[in-house]
Amino acid sequence: MEVKTHSPFAEQFEQKRKACDSYPLDQSIANSWSKIAPFWPLKNLIAVNPLAGFENLSFEDALKEGNAYFQQKDIPSEMEAINRESLKWLQVFFDEGQATIPMPIREQGFLQSTLSLLRYDTQIHQNDNKKIYWLETLPTSAEEIIREAFLFLGICSSDQELFLTLMLSTLPGWAAYIQYKINWSNQEQELSFNPVSHSDYLAFRLILTSLIWPEAKDLLTWHKKLRENIEIDATYQKILEHESQHQKQLLSNLNKENADKLREKTDAQLVFCIDVRSEPFRRALEAEGNYETFGFAGFFGMPISVTDLVTGESHDSCPVLIKPNYQVSESPVCSSKSAQNGQRRVQRIKKLYQSLKYTFTTPFSLVETMGVASGLWMALKCLSPKYATAIESRVRKLIQSDYMLSPNIDQIPLDQQVKLSAQALKSMGLNKKFAPLVVFCGHGSSTQNNAYATSLDCGACGGHHGAPNARVLAKILNSKPVRKALKKEGIVIPKDTFFLAAEHNTTTDEVEIYEEELSPAHTAHITFLKEDLEKARNTNTTWRNQTLGITAKPEKAKNLSLLRSQDWAQIRPEWGLAKNASFIVGPRWLTKGKNLGGRSFLHSYEWQEDLDGSILASILTAPMVVAQWINAQYLFSTLDNIAFGGGSKTTQNIVGKLGVMQGNASDLMSGLPLQSVYKNDLEAYHEPNRLNVLIHAPQSRIEQIIQEQSILQKLFGNGWVTLIAYPPSTNEAFILKRDFTWSKLH
Amino acid sequence: MLGIENFFHIDQLTLIMMALVSFVGLSIASFSSRYLQGDTKRGTFYRNLIVLILNVFILSAADHILVLLFSWAFANYFLSKLMLHKPAWKAAQESSLLAQKNFLTGFIFLSAALCILCVNTGSFSIRHINNETIASHWAILSAALILLAAMTQSALWPFHRWLLSSLNSPTPVSAIMHAGLINGGGFILTRFAPIFFNEPFILDILFILGVVTALLGTLWKLMQSDVKRMLACSTMGQMGFMLAQCGLGLFPAAVAHLCWHGLFKAYLFLSSSSRAQEKRFDLDAPPSLKYFCSSLLCGLMGAYMFATVSEKVPLRLDTNLFLILLAAIAGTQFALSLLRSYSFVRFPFVLIATMLAGSLYGFSVESIERLLAPLDISRPQTFSALHIFTYFFLLSAWLAVVFSHQEKQNTYPSWVLKFYVRMLNASQAHSKTITANRNQYQS
Repeated sequence: MEVKTHSPFAEQFEQKRKACDSYPLDQSIANSWSKIAPFWPLKNLIAVNPLAGFENLSFEDALKEGNAYFQQKDIPSEMEAINRESLKWLQVFFDEGQATIPMPIREQGFLQSTLSLLRYDTQIHQNDNKKIYWLETLPTSAEEIIREAFLFLGICSSDQELFLTLMLSTLPGWAAYIQYKINWSNQEQELSFNPVSHSDYLAFRLILTSLIWPEAKDLLTWHKKLRENIEIDATYQKILEHESQHQKQLLSNLNKENADKLREKTDAQLVFCIDVRSEPFRRALEAEGNYETFGFAGFFGMPISVTDLVTGESHDSCPVLIKPNYQVSESPVCSSKSAQNGQRRVQRIKKLYQSLKYTFTTPFSLVETMGVASGLWMALKCLSPKYATAIESRVRKLIQSDYMLSPNIDQIPLDQQVKLSAQALKSMGLNKKFAPLVVFCGHGSSTQNNAYATSLDCGACGGHHGAPNARVLAKILNSKPVRKALKKEGIVIPKDTFFLAAEHNTTTDEVEIYEEELSPAHTAHITFLKEDLEKARNTNTTWRNQTLGITAKPEKAKNLSLLRSQDWAQIRPEWGLAKNASFIVGPRWLTKGKNLGGRSFLHSYEWQEDLDGSILASILTAPMVVAQWINAQYLFSTLDNIAFGGGSKTTQNIVGKLGVMQGNASDLMSGLPLQSVYKNDLEAYHEPNRLNVLIHAPQSRIEQIIQEQSILQKLFGNGWVTLIAYPPSTNEAFILKRDFTWSKLH
Repeated sequence: MLGIENFFHIDQLTLIMMALVSFVGLSIASFSSRYLQGDTKRGTFYRNLIVLILNVFILSAADHILVLLFSWAFANYFLSKLMLHKPAWKAAQESSLLAQKNFLTGFIFLSAALCILCVNTGSFSIRHINNETIASHWAILSAALILLAAMTQSALWPFHRWLLSSLNSPTPVSAIMHAGLINGGGFILTRFAPIFFNEPFILDILFILGVVTALLGTLWKLMQSDVKRMLACSTMGQMGFMLAQCGLGLFPAAVAHLCWHGLFKAYLFLSSSSRAQEKRFDLDAPPSLKYFCSSLLCGLMGAYMFATVSEKVPLRLDTNLFLILLAAIAGTQFALSLLRSYSFVRFPFVLIATMLAGSLYGFSVESIERLLAPLDISRPQTFSALHIFTYFFLLSAWLAVVFSHQEKQNTYPSWVLKFYVRMLNASQAHSKTITANRNQYQS
């Protein structure tokens, strides 16, 4: 550092100033927030690594940091008081439509509006004139307020970053949600009525801290002290054990050669999402007939935002790492008008009910009128969810008839349609030997009364159902101009090949095929396919019932799973992606016929077709990263379900329609609930392990890709993901060590 | 001498309460068989639930005041045990403790009241006590004490805190609580209704306290940002309305209210996990005069149907008129929403729909009132200035919402902000029952 001579008079001040300069505030703010992973709201629960902010550290160090910041059982009691008041304001400010009378002046932004209201919050300032004066004379900019609070609390600038981090980490769930709001949400839609910024939130926390706990400097000592006894070895050993066990199992499940080489033509080809739930279903279907299945990210390479013209709602239907390039709207195949009329009828009824419920005076009459009906309905739903569902769908059909949606692909320019579809076909390894039927099978879940419903949907579709994407790709590939253009690119699709869209319901294992006009030849094919899908459903639900501790005959198993999806009291409708452990990049023959136990993401990949390695690079930097997010979410939700998970569903309380808290009020419970990863209160179902990525490709190609991609260096080099190469023609597996050298895996 | 008839007496009120609690109890037991799958405390939950329900049975059938007192105490004790599902969770301990303190307060009030009644009538039998006339000051005192006991039990202002802090309980426990023991206040008032009829001015106090709670509960409900506290505040408001009905001298109407509200609220609690998906519609802009007047006409016709079906005569100018006029407000709101959705051409349809809804409402209330008729506890009071004044208050609160402006305001007078903060703070859970550090939560 530069040394200058100063008059002794100003020396002390100057030293302070210099110290400030060496720790610029905006840098400290950014650094403190960089430790916070985002947390998505309930409407699309995207899985994230809760320690994503520490991925630049080794896995073991990150475990320690996570423990120090997020897993502390005891925090200073004054900090708890600050949290209680913070919770109160956070809940009302970020409310997405629960309160009929929302917090006033939210448009002014988080800091401005809370500051205006804090003046009247006698619970916080206790009518202490000094405190009120301090509040009223605070500067307006967030940074200035932060400086002022530091001065007041006596935090020296070398400690400011740590202090800011503690302001976030002592209430981590809400910090994570705000991180999402600022960095990941659709800004125009979601931040217009309640804007917030990183420094806003920190300034708010510091104001409360200054008012409630003037000696908050002690927080630093508390934190530094607890760092001395952090122990993660036992946890880490447990993870290592599970991993080596899984790796052994994985190796024993690899086929040495392609047994299907001679097979000429298949009856149908089906492309499923890489989701681990696809594996057992694909296996079950393949056993039923001459089918070839593929694994590909469930958005099928379509970077789109989908609008349902009936409901008028739209959402981004692609991985959150990608910004959608095209707006695609879907309209009913039959009469658009009748569907919309039905929709309007449903809305009118709901609106009528809400207009009587959310106001003064009329709710008293409402409950007296509705009492008998709601009591009977409650009893029916409790005692027989099956009949309740049957009645509900009957009534719904009376009000609104069923309709099928079809996308308008003209909203994507023809050249882009060609480009996107060619890319998708090449990446999934389906660019020749087309079967007469090719089915793109997205997936989604169906559960009742489940706050975490979207965590069971397709992550590649941004936490939504995958059917719209499947419909878009199928429609594109059926269009004549596209096929013509694809021919020029070397992808020749036979005339008698027809593309279909479908959706795999992961709760019931039902596959719904979206049929459009078919030729008679295809109709025959599809009839057989449907039968086989039904058989696969029986097989898979039998197995899935076993994983839930239920032994049932195949014909019964199907109904049991269906019942789970209809039952409002069902706390474990399905296991979701629990037990996920590996990500296999390679051709289907590598694991065909082997029981991988629904623990593997399967991504189709033919190394011979990818001479420049670009396909592998995109697999490793996109779907693999998403798989790692999912894996880390399950891992940490299992390791500490309270600090990184959601806690039990039985005491959950939905706040602001955006997240879950426990009981009367608590931090936003980010992560998966207990029932998603635990068999019962004590026994985990998910086995905590990091993602094992197995790639069927030459090591040299893998090495080259890693050299080019810093994100892969970070993930493999810091031990967040284990990479296993299974080079063609060697029949041996090599594990990539953290120093990027290979060692043979036994 | 010690025959069972000395301790128990089964009447229509007993049967209604038993039917309500067993119906809700059965539903919740069935719900929990799946909902508490894998929960280590499931056995304890079922044990406590059964003991609770048995105690409510005894309570509603009790004729001996000691039986009443003990079953009252035990039922509440087991409810507080149910609230503490996971004993290691500190905030839940505090919730349970807060409820226990409240129930103990109520128990003391009730014991004192029954003690006075017992000493003054020389009898332990509730039937006997109700038939006796005792010195006015003792009657007033005991009525006031019963009222206080009812207020603690039904979470009426200012005894509401425990209810707003009770949401650390598992969802099924909240459901049984909001359909069950929270109604104990209404039950105990109805049991001792004759005492209140002897002191009509106490009825007015009941009425005023009830309306205050009804307004506060509704206001807080509209302000909450989480599902469960919204439901708890709403229950508080509904309990206020029930107390107000008692204050009108219409105890059967209050019982009808507690039954139907209980079922409604239990359903809402059990389905509370799906609230994230519920789409809320914006309030409509203020209606034009034409729309409002036509709706008012429908509302009045609906209220007429309500009165006819529930056999209330508006022109008698007794407190039944209060309920009829409230039905008119609900009917107007109903018609207004329908008229908004459909065009004006459908006016006849809206009119008929409103009249049908009014009839349904009347039928709901009438069914319970008729069952309770033999008890002779429906004695409408004269429709007084107090009732008129209160009615206009409730009416203007509703009108304020109907005619409130849609556009978001950017500036508010400071009293509005001040009032908002004050109400927000008042409707918070007790600080000890909040999980301020998430790692203190225990599943």
